[in-house]
Amino acid sequence: MIREWTSFFVAVFSLIYIYELSLFASGAKDSALTLMRNPGIVAFNVLALLFTLYHAFTWFYLIGKVQPIKIGKTTSKPWQALLVNIALLLIISYAVIQILILR
Amino acid sequence: MPKVARLHGILWAIFSGGGFIAAFLLPILIYVVGIAYPLGLWPVTNGDPTSAILTHHHIGTLFLFVTVGGSLFHGIYRFQSTLTELGLARAKKALEAIGYLIIIVGVLATAIYLLQYSPGFFSLA
Repeated sequence: MIREWTSFFVAVFSLIYIYELSLFASGAKDSALTLMRNPGIVAFNVLALLFTLYHAFTWFYLIGKVQPIKIGKTTSKPWQALLVNIALLLIISYAVIQILILR
Repeated sequence: MPKVARLHGILWAIFSGGGFIAAFLLPILIYVVGIAYPLGLWPVTNGDPTSAILTHHHIGTLFLFVTVGGSLFHGIYRFQSTLTELGLARAKKALEAIGYLIIIVGVLATAIYLLQYSPGFFSLA
């Protein structure tokens, strides 16, 4: 059931961020930045990150369970799919930081 | 294939794509924009991350649109079906209507706001 509730945090974060984008687009950048620094919003974001990661990790595990890969005589285990996808998540996240934030 | 089943299949495919996006792209967006910026953590040392992302206007705008739009679709679609499982089955039609309305308005609004911020998005330069 926790997995189902991750969707609530995903949806609410998206809606808050769309509102922030509306402030950016209308030229009220300072209001958008003030909203981002609001302690209540920051606390919600920490929860949203934890729930989103829970969604991601359980999904990676389920992929390994539903679609095991056969290599020769061995079949991949769900925890192997979990590890490979966590590595992929880290690579993608680092690429986003390098390309869109630091460059 | 019946029309309704085909539409259902398409919606499930978008939902699944949204799940992929929410798993691989949303965590870093939440961290950078919602945690690292307000708390002054790496990699956001100066300036706000949304402006930094939109500076790379083609790839940055596309990243924000895909991440926010895909996550919104996935989150609302799933949350609405969770509510029906929690005893609101009688209101299923109304919940679906509200859910799709939020998704359509949210995705369109995201596209409009991003295009307002980066008006030259469709130019090749």
